[in-house]
Amino acid sequence: MLEVSGLNVKYGDAQVLWDMSIKVGAGEVVAVMGPNGSGKSTLLKAICGLVAIHSGQIKFEGKDISSMPAHNMTSIGMSLVLERRRLFPSMTVMENVMLGAYAKHARDKTKERLAWVEELFPIIRERRDQIASRMSGGEQQMVAIARGLMSGPRLLLMDEPFLGLSPKMVSAIVTLVQAINKRGIAVLFNEQNVQLSFGNAHRGYLLESGRVVLEGAGLEMLQNETVKRVYLGSH
Amino acid sequence: MPISLLFEQILNGIVLGSMYALMGGGLALIYGTMRILNFAHGEFFMLGGFFVFFLFAGAHITPFLAVPIAVLAAAAIAAGIQRSTLAILQRRDGWLFATIAATLGISIILQNVALLLWGERFQSVPYYIEGTLAVGDIRMAYQRLLILAVALCSLALVGLVLRYTRFGLAVRATAQDQEAAKVMGISTERINTATFAMGAGLAALAATMLAPLIAVNPWMGLPLLLKAFVVVVLGGLGSFKGAILGGILLGVIEAVGMSMTSAEWRDVISYSVLIAVIWLRPWGLFGVKER
Repeated sequence: MLEVSGLNVKYGDAQVLWDMSIKVGAGEVVAVMGPNGSGKSTLLKAICGLVAIHSGQIKFEGKDISSMPAHNMTSIGMSLVLERRRLFPSMTVMENVMLGAYAKHARDKTKERLAWVEELFPIIRERRDQIASRMSGGEQQMVAIARGLMSGPRLLLMDEPFLGLSPKMVSAIVTLVQAINKRGIAVLFNEQNVQLSFGNAHRGYLLESGRVVLEGAGLEMLQNETVKRVYLGSH
Repeated sequence: MPISLLFEQILNGIVLGSMYALMGGGLALIYGTMRILNFAHGEFFMLGGFFVFFLFAGAHITPFLAVPIAVLAAAAIAAGIQRSTLAILQRRDGWLFATIAATLGISIILQNVALLLWGERFQSVPYYIEGTLAVGDIRMAYQRLLILAVALCSLALVGLVLRYTRFGLAVRATAQDQEAAKVMGISTERINTATFAMGAGLAALAATMLAPLIAVNPWMGLPLLLKAFVVVVLGGLGSFKGAILGGILLGVIEAVGMSMTSAEWRDVISYSVLIAVIWLRPWGLFGVKER
């Protein structure tokens, strides 16, 4: 479904992604794990066109999208939930959610999607007129994910969806991601915590200083010696 | 001062203030959406003035047509300029200072082009309607009432578009978070161009309305630009609603202040207001403190 091959990204003279190749199959949940500065956020932004790529190729459902502008992403069936939610702070919950269906193709199906999203996230209906910035982090994350689903994506990308959330909220979001995936939507997310990332994904990639150093099935990754030694601190 | 005179001064202030509101509203719209301080705003005002001079005073086209044509022409020029300069600069790092320098440059170029093409003579535009309305002791030229009506209607229209249309929603989203807006599928570059043109159009509209009261010339934009900056600071940087209220408030303060002193004190009064606001309430009268 998504194929990134030989991706190089530079910020000025500094190269942040080196020859990176990753894949997401239809209906899969894929985790990208790595420490701060390993390039996992840049990877997601490059896929979406928010960061210019230096070389390499990004294909979505067979189509080359390497040079597609970010604002076309939702119309080809991809959607990104940005790091730290990034809701429009002075808009209401409903305005935020409706902006998720801004793309032309999504407009006609707004009603049914809203019904579906409200079923997954009852908070949307309960708080529809609340100003987004007055909600808690976890509540905002729910609205952000709901907003990301309004364009009807087949692939949902999530940049650090658990960042700064309470443990209770984290498990609520995990459950929601599973529910979203059950509807056939593929998910690509990144996360710094080994358990949270590989424990909740079909497959995973481990990044270090802008390179993929390890890949495999989620549970295998959890069992991997390197992962255990470096990231779980066991000997 | 007799009460009717005071009332007349306040009314005059509201009329003048509605022009400040048009100027400041456009400036606030541009700043709020793309974080560009548009130093060329006065020149789009000037273009509106010249266009209406040629169309109405020159070619005797009815104001009903001359004014919209002048406004659209100035907005189209603004869109072209934004596309070929500011839009390109904003894709680069460190654009904040670059765009300030660029709008200053655009301002100088437009002034000199106007000087070259149309000369330095001050041109006058006749009133769109003659006559004076008199209610009791209070007298008001129809032209001034027309100015007020046009300003209020167009500002209300822009406000409604921003509040209730898809385009307005996209503008507000872009203003609050450009990156998140892109992710929603909004072409923020197109929104930036449209907003810049809209802001410039409001400035041009102010000039078409004021042209009969002031002389049309290549430098006519500067005093209004400075007032627009005062208004934008007064209302809270980037707030469209704040700029409108700030504009009208400034007009009233100026008019009443002048009637108590003299006309030379006008700028002293408005800049004193500016300094006081920056001093006491730097986020503006209607803005919110930075989160």
